[in-house]
Amino acid sequence: MQSEQAQVTDVEILRAVARGDELALGALYDRYRIILFGLLVRILNSREEAEDVLQEVMLQVWRRAADFDEQRGRPFTWLVTLARSRAIDRLRLLGARQRLADSAARNSPHEATDAVKDTLHSEQREIVQRALADLPKEQTRILMLAYFEGLTQSEIATRLATPLGTVKTRMRSGMIKLRELLGNEIKSLY
Amino acid sequence: MAHEDYKEMLAAQVLNALEAPEMRDLEAHLQSCAECRSQLSDLEATAAGLAFASMETIPLEPSLQLRGRILEAVRADVTAAGTAIKEAKDGQQPQSSNVVPLKQPRTWSSAQTWRAIAAGVVVVGLGATLFVGKQNREARQELARLTTQVRDAHRQLIQQREAIEIVTAPGARMTELAGTKVMPEAHAMLAYDKNGRAILMAKGLPPAPAGKAYQLWFIAGGKPMPGKVFTTDASGAGALKDQVPPEARNAAVFAITLEPENGVLSPTGEMYLSSAS
Repeated sequence: MQSEQAQVTDVEILRAVARGDELALGALYDRYRIILFGLLVRILNSREEAEDVLQEVMLQVWRRAADFDEQRGRPFTWLVTLARSRAIDRLRLLGARQRLADSAARNSPHEATDAVKDTLHSEQREIVQRALADLPKEQTRILMLAYFEGLTQSEIATRLATPLGTVKTRMRSGMIKLRELLGNEIKSLY
Repeated sequence: MAHEDYKEMLAAQVLNALEAPEMRDLEAHLQSCAECRSQLSDLEATAAGLAFASMETIPLEPSLQLRGRILEAVRADVTAAGTAIKEAKDGQQPQSSNVVPLKQPRTWSSAQTWRAIAAGVVVVGLGATLFVGKQNREARQELARLTTQVRDAHRQLIQQREAIEIVTAPGARMTELAGTKVMPEAHAMLAYDKNGRAILMAKGLPPAPAGKAYQLWFIAGGKPMPGKVFTTDASGAGALKDQVPPEARNAAVFAITLEPENGVLSPTGEMYLSSAS
């Protein structure tokens, strides 16, 4: 688990990136490439698209590092938010010309090497999965459809043949419960 | 709509699950509501944690080449490079007082760690050392100018190689896009192979305004299908790799419009370039 000192270093790295330090951007990439790439592959279901979007995200970080405001959140939150928004924009673009069905992405993974074990985040994964397991199943399903498939509330309502009002309530309850469940643990997540 | 209504939309907002009009309303409310902004930040942190749920037991790793491609793209990014040089020239320091500047010993040790991590990128390391070591402003400006030239040349070389690969592939096609009345001097060439692998090279397009980018469109049967977005450099040149959808590989019209930087599903901006219909 990363210490508070490592967290400060994240902010320092972003400040160095904001000053045009390429090495700092490389360090940021090294630290978060596994979690961001895993997220992007899960959303886009394609290694190629995920790499393309990860490149765009890092370029966006390079251009906008000066906009990062540590009072408003952690660097990790900022990075994941950027990556997910980009991926969902891309997913919606691809959806308009038929969603890619690159199942090979999951069948032939490039597995992480021993050298990157410190960035595997396995402890964080367990914390989040335990919290998700404690949510009612219908809430988890709605959160997953929004988070990983990029569906809006109306699209989820259609997909699940559930009234829109119910979807809204479940989504909100699910996120609030998750915030409680992660509670203090969220500070040690990253 | 009341404050409580907006509050209930925050969870959906951090999941990108609101419809566009709701999102716009909420964003307007957030400008003036500190309580909602604070709750939004909390929920964003929770949503970021969900990324860990995507991790496989055996995590996936991007290809080894991606790191190099990202650093290459960053070096080719003229706008950001210009900013970095300007800041170095002006001698600006970060405004926050609780972050130690790079020049102080503690942060310098972080820089050494980065260098160790990036040991493979010898040229970058050498460039950075030179940059820090040389206090002479003229030398720095000369180094920056030459570095930009090398980056531009390298980027152009890669684009040209890719273009040659596509153009020389069996069954390759080339289509010319001419500037519309919005930008008559603009010009572009789209080449694609039989699998739809495409490269677009454009000239004469002014750098897009902040928050905007050029987007490629494949128009088949009168219906525009969105392509990817790209930007242009200071000379007005830009390139894009994309995939032509199967239904657009025959008798399609290709066009370029100016759109929000992440691209849109249907064209909303002015058309800058178009192929003959």
